[in-house]
Amino acid sequence: MNLDSAQQGYLAECNELLVEMESALLQLEDDPKNSELINAVFRAAHTIKGTGGVFGFDDVVEFTHVVENALDTIRSGDLIINSELVAVFLSLRDQMEIVVEHAVNGETLSSEVKRQNDDLLAALLALTGGEVDEGTQKDESEVNNKDESEEAGACTSNDNWHLSIRFSKDALRDGMDPLSILRYLAGMGDLKQVVTIFSEDDSEELSPIDCHIGLEIELLSDEDKEAIESAFEFIKDDCLVHILPPRAKIKHYINMINALPEEDKRIGEILVSCGALTKAELEGVIDAQTESSFTPVDGDVKTNSLKLGELVEENGMVPKEVVEAAAAKQQRVRSLNSSAKTIRVDSEKLDALVNLVGEMVIAGAGTDLIARRLGDDSLVESMSVMSRLVEEIRDSALRLRMVQIGETFNRFNRVVRDVSSELGKDIRLEIVGAETELDKTVVEKIGDPLMHLVRNAMDHGIESAQDRAAAGKAEYGSLKLNAYHDSGSIVIEVEDDGAGLRRDVILAKAEEKGIVSSGQVLTDQEIYRLIFEPGFSTATEVTNLSGRGVGMDVVKRNIEALRGLVDIESEAGVGTKIIIRMPLTLAIIDGFLVGVGHSSYVIPLDMVFECVELSDAERQQARKQNYINLRDEVLPLMRLRENFNINGESNGRENIVVVQCGGIKAGLIVDELRGEFQTVIKPLGRIFQGLKGISGSTILGSGEVAVILDVPGLVKQVADAGGHLPSAGGVNKNESNIVH
Amino acid sequence: MAKTILIVDDSSSLRNVVKIALVDAGYDVIEGGDGREGIQALDGRKVHLIISDVNMPNMDGISMVKEIKTMASYQFTPIIMLTTEAGDDLKSQGKAAGVKAWVVKPFKPDQMLNAVSKLIMP
Repeated sequence: MNLDSAQQGYLAECNELLVEMESALLQLEDDPKNSELINAVFRAAHTIKGTGGVFGFDDVVEFTHVVENALDTIRSGDLIINSELVAVFLSLRDQMEIVVEHAVNGETLSSEVKRQNDDLLAALLALTGGEVDEGTQKDESEVNNKDESEEAGACTSNDNWHLSIRFSKDALRDGMDPLSILRYLAGMGDLKQVVTIFSEDDSEELSPIDCHIGLEIELLSDEDKEAIESAFEFIKDDCLVHILPPRAKIKHYINMINALPEEDKRIGEILVSCGALTKAELEGVIDAQTESSFTPVDGDVKTNSLKLGELVEENGMVPKEVVEAAAAKQQRVRSLNSSAKTIRVDSEKLDALVNLVGEMVIAGAGTDLIARRLGDDSLVESMSVMSRLVEEIRDSALRLRMVQIGETFNRFNRVVRDVSSELGKDIRLEIVGAETELDKTVVEKIGDPLMHLVRNAMDHGIESAQDRAAAGKAEYGSLKLNAYHDSGSIVIEVEDDGAGLRRDVILAKAEEKGIVSSGQVLTDQEIYRLIFEPGFSTATEVTNLSGRGVGMDVVKRNIEALRGLVDIESEAGVGTKIIIRMPLTLAIIDGFLVGVGHSSYVIPLDMVFECVELSDAERQQARKQNYINLRDEVLPLMRLRENFNINGESNGRENIVVVQCGGIKAGLIVDELRGEFQTVIKPLGRIFQGLKGISGSTILGSGEVAVILDVPGLVKQVADAGGHLPSAGGVNKNESNIVH
Repeated sequence: MAKTILIVDDSSSLRNVVKIALVDAGYDVIEGGDGREGIQALDGRKVHLIISDVNMPNMDGISMVKEIKTMASYQFTPIIMLTTEAGDDLKSQGKAAGVKAWVVKPFKPDQMLNAVSKLIMP
């Protein structure tokens, strides 16, 4: 087994656990008594420590041990969690990440990290009131000693089995003879010592037919636990029987556990397979477990097994070490198995696959073209089957890269928490639409712009508590992250309930900076959009968080680089909403192919609303006015021929492709509609990046290059040229009457 | 003096197999074909262990045990019950009647000897 890859697996597992731990901690702040959450935090620390131990990462074990202990006191209810503790645990969590990383990379901890460790642990112990226990002591022999002394309770210190039996009062009445048991045991090995014990509780009277004795037996035997237990087969229901394995057996059990085949078993089954727990004991424990109110939810096997492990450990049936080994084994197998369900794939491999699929789409289109030209029916038919398959392959390949945005959003829980305490504002984050899926490449790149927007909203958007109180708002500020799908794009909104943008301040600032000339008449919307202009920052004082010159213009640029759009809505006193609209994927889209002259253009199909034929009358009108009346709606037009300076006149009818983006409709006048086309997006070279109205290129089946239109850009251009249209829904009736 | 075991079962061949094994191991064995016969077989003798089937004609094993438990000479005599499956319902009935030891059929003679040796010695 390659230990390196196993260690990487451990690192990945730790990271997942740490993320869970963080989110549980954050929730705990609001719900400090939620035992599920406390358990989740504890489990994370417990597993990191346990598995770290298997790898021999002493630093991890040492550090996590203290954290685990503290969590244990919280779990047992001795200590109630508060925000101070949450803060310390969050820092500890971050430190665990560092320690684990060091361990996996095989680096020893630098003195600085060690100092941080000690500081954090000291801070923790100061809060939990715990003492610096053996876990923090660096002496290795100390740790070993601890092992022995701690384990002494759960196993015998020599090679003898220790059997502890308390007979029931009725044992003799039932015909159960303690002497027979002793004789039977003597047949299994060497009875080293037998001590009889008299139960003291029944002081009233000594009945000759009651059984008042108990036995403490030291037995030297090679038999396994199951066999020894079978001696008590008939009395175990009524009598108390404890069987403690000899010290040497523990090692044996752990070796057995490690040697077991890698099957997904419950912890109890693992313990039974290695012989540490007998079937009867397991049944007893499971009964006790189901009786207790903590009945685990179906499917939550993890909680279930841990509780079982704890029960077994507490009842002294199996030594702690063995339970831990079994838990570690289970984790190992689980991670192997779960990796069978969800496979971690290098994203480069996925990208390569998507690229290949893209090439296949192009090649398929080429073959399709040839088949049609040859006019061979059977070939055309088989190509259509191929095309459908290619389309399905394309969709599944792209779906492989779709991930939920939730993980990105959840990161902001921590950000909001940290930043709000830094700013001294009480801000709560609400996340909506976390399950919305989008391409991984988009997710990766949206993080930074989002971070900026969130920080901005918290810093500038949401007012201080006093201001909020004065404005009669809720004392805590709300920040909302919302994601949803809208006609082939994903829309992400960052909304705050702060003071809103101040129109006059923005305008004054823009004039001062020379972004707009004074006297220019602008709509509110246009003024708000000014904050995206380069060099614009309204924060009068530079705080730690924003106003460092990296303004909204960078955000806008980053988003536009992803073929996205950013817009802003604001209302004074109510709040501000930043709306980001991004394509779902950056690789392949369903396109609508249109022709103008000899050139081909692709319009993303999701944005195509309808196609309308342009009548002669309308054509004349369109020439003059650049808009038509489409079913009583004003439809601003753009003639692609003019826009892209294509020479010549169209011979024949023209068509309007009605496109819609962000609630605004516009018509693009083209010569020819060529139908749907699977478009593999090829990025434009650097020289062409500045071109307006073009977002990329693609290769047609014939080998020609077609240009992909930047519909949002065009729509904006059209809308701006055709006056300030409110939206497709809000129609200016007067204007449409004039059209008539 | 060898210890005496009463075996009660409506199958004589089963009684035979068990008897051979037990006699071999040094016990004395007396028999009964059903609960009624089992009680008659006791006949005031010193008996150290009773092995009985549950499902038998005339008087079933549990009724027999209940009756035996009322007899002063045998009230503390250990009893092993034989069942085809360790039915929980049956077990709790047997438990109430005072049966603690169960051996599940089919069993090998050695298993029976092992069970017996947990309760009495030859």
